[in-house]
Amino acid sequence: MMSTRALGLSSALRTVAFAPRTLRNQVVLRNGISRRFVQTESLTPTANIDILNKQRLKRPSSPHFTIYQPQLTWIASIANRVTGAGLSVLLYGFSIAYLIAPGTFDSVHVVDFVHGLPEAVKYAGKFILAAPFSFHAINGLRHLAWDTGKFLSVKSVYGTGYAVLGATAVSTAFLTFLK
Amino acid sequence: MQSIALAKQALRASAPSKIFARSLATATQKPVLLKEFKIYRWNPDQPEEKPKLQSYTIDLNQTGPMILDALIKIKNEMDPTLTFRRSCREGICGSCAMNIDGQNTLACLCRIDRSPTKNTKVYPLPHMYIVKDLVPDMTQFYKQYKSIQPWLQNDNPPTQGEFLQSIDDRKKLDGLYECILCACCSTSCPSYWWNQDEYLGPATLMQAYRWIADSRDTHTEERKDRLQNDMSMYRCHTIFNCSRTCPKGLNPAAAIAKIKLELAVE
Amino acid sequence: MSAGLILRSNVSRAIARRAALRSSFQARNVSQDHNKYVPGGPVYQGTVNDATTFPPASRVHGSYHWSFERLLSAALVPMTAAAFVTTGSNYPVLDGLLGLSLVMHSHFGFDQVLLDYVHKRKFPVIAPIANWTLRAATVGALVGVYQFNTNDIGLTELIAKVWGA
Repeated sequence: MMSTRALGLSSALRTVAFAPRTLRNQVVLRNGISRRFVQTESLTPTANIDILNKQRLKRPSSPHFTIYQPQLTWIASIANRVTGAGLSVLLYGFSIAYLIAPGTFDSVHVVDFVHGLPEAVKYAGKFILAAPFSFHAINGLRHLAWDTGKFLSVKSVYGTGYAVLGATAVSTAFLTFLK
Repeated sequence: MQSIALAKQALRASAPSKIFARSLATATQKPVLLKEFKIYRWNPDQPEEKPKLQSYTIDLNQTGPMILDALIKIKNEMDPTLTFRRSCREGICGSCAMNIDGQNTLACLCRIDRSPTKNTKVYPLPHMYIVKDLVPDMTQFYKQYKSIQPWLQNDNPPTQGEFLQSIDDRKKLDGLYECILCACCSTSCPSYWWNQDEYLGPATLMQAYRWIADSRDTHTEERKDRLQNDMSMYRCHTIFNCSRTCPKGLNPAAAIAKIKLELAVE
Repeated sequence: MSAGLILRSNVSRAIARRAALRSSFQARNVSQDHNKYVPGGPVYQGTVNDATTFPPASRVHGSYHWSFERLLSAALVPMTAAAFVTTGSNYPVLDGLLGLSLVMHSHFGFDQVLLDYVHKRKFPVIAPIANWTLRAATVGALVGVYQFNTNDIGLTELIAKVWGA
C-alpha cells in the first residue's frame, strides 16, 4: 500500500519537471499530504551507532555445539583434548601427591594397593587408562602428520580418523589384557 | 502497477474456468507428501521473548527440491514474517548460509530430505548474534576479512602491461580464490565459536593464505608477521569442521596448515 | 527440548552480554554506556568499515611456540616406544627425560585449554589465577616426578609394576 503510493509519487515527480506551472502546484500539494506518512530524521554517525548498539545488546546468540551435527572431525578433536587432559591430571595428581606425601604414594604402597583390588576392578582400571592413552597417542600421530602437511583432504581426514579408531580399539584391548 | 492489478483480477475471474481447473487437476495427481520444518525464530521487535523453533508443514510435491525453495514457499504462502537472506539461488552469492539439520551449508545447494517422518531443523549460522530469525550479524566476519588486506600489494608493479605469472604459480591459487565468504566454515569452527573476537576463523585465514601464496604479491612477510601471535591463527587446532562443511568443496584447514608450516620453517 | 537447547547454548555469550549490561548499569549516567566494547560481546570496536586489529607480533607466542609444541610431541613418540621395551631402572636418563617431557607436554596442553576457554580478556580475574595455578602445579609436578624418578623406582617401572599387579 505504502510502496504503491511512493511509486506513484515518484513517477509523478518525474513528470512534474516537464509539466506546466499550474499542474506542478497541484502535485506539490499532493506531495505535502503524503509526506506526513513518512518521517525521516537526520542523524549524526555517533547517534546512528548509538541506536545500532542498543539494538545489538538485545540480540541473542545462536545455538552452536548443542545443535551441530556430531561429526568425526570435531568429536575426535574434543576427545583428543579430553583424553589428554585426563591423563595429564593423573600425572600431575600423582607427581604432586608424591611430592607432598612420599611415604604414602611410593611405588611399594601404590603397587600393593592395586594388587589388593578385585580382578574385575583391575581390568576396568586398566581399560580406563589404556583407552584414553591409546586414543591420544595414536590421534596425536594423526595430528603430527597434518602438521607436516600430509593427509589434509577431507577424504584422508575420514580415512585416518577411522584408522585411528580401529587402532585405538586394538591397542586398548591389547593393553587391557597385558600383564 | 495497474496492469498487475488487472491481471490479478482477470486471474481471479477465470479461476473456475475449465482450463484452469484441468491444470489444477494434473498438478494434484502427485500424492501429498507432508514434511515438517522446524525453523529458528527470534523477533527484534519483541526482544524479551526467547528464541524458539517454529514448526511449518508443507507439501514437498508442491515445493522445489532445495531447502531454499521450502523457505521461500513458507514465506510466500504461510508466514511472511519469516526472515532469511537469499539472492542468487545457485550457490555463488553466499547469502543463504545457515545450519540445516546440524550442518552449515547454503540453503540453495541443500536438497530437502524427502523422508516425511523426519523433520528438518533450520537454525541460523551457529554462535552468531542474531539480527532476526535466520539472519546473523556478519559485521565481525567482514571486519576480520578486511584486516588481512585482501588485495594485491606489490611495490614494483610492471612498468607496462599486466602482472605476469607462471602456470604453476597460478595453480597455487586454485581452491583458494573460489571462496564466496558465506561464513559456513568459520561458524562451524569451535575455536571461532569461543574466540571469534580475536581468532580470524577459517574463511579469513584461507584468504590470508590466498594472498601469501600469490606470486605477484610482494607483501608476503607483513602478511605472515600479522599472524605471529597466539590468537589470530594459532587458535586453529586442525579440527576440520571447516573443510567438512564448505558448500563449495574448498579446504580451509589445509590452507591454514600450509601457513603454519611456512611460518615454522622461516 | 529444543528450546532448552537454545537456552543452554546461550549461556556462554550471555555472560559477555550480561557483563556489558552490568557495566552499563553501573555507569548509567554516562550517555555512551551501551557502546562499551566487551570482548566477545555484540558491540564491536570501531565502525563497520574499520578492520579488526592484530595483537602485537611475537614469534615466541606464534610460530616458535607452535614448532616447539610439535617437536616435543614428536619426541614423545620414540620415548614412549623405548619405555615399552625397557625399564627405567636400566636407563634412568630415559625416565628423567620422559618425566620432564610429559609434564611439559601436559603444561602446553593445559595452557591451550586456558587460552581457548578462560582467556584473560574475557575473565580478567579468573584467568590470571588459573594461569598461575597451572604454573605452580607444573613446577610441583616437575619436582614430584624428579623426586619419584630419583628416590623411587621411576615412572616406567611404576607403570609396568602396577600393570602386572
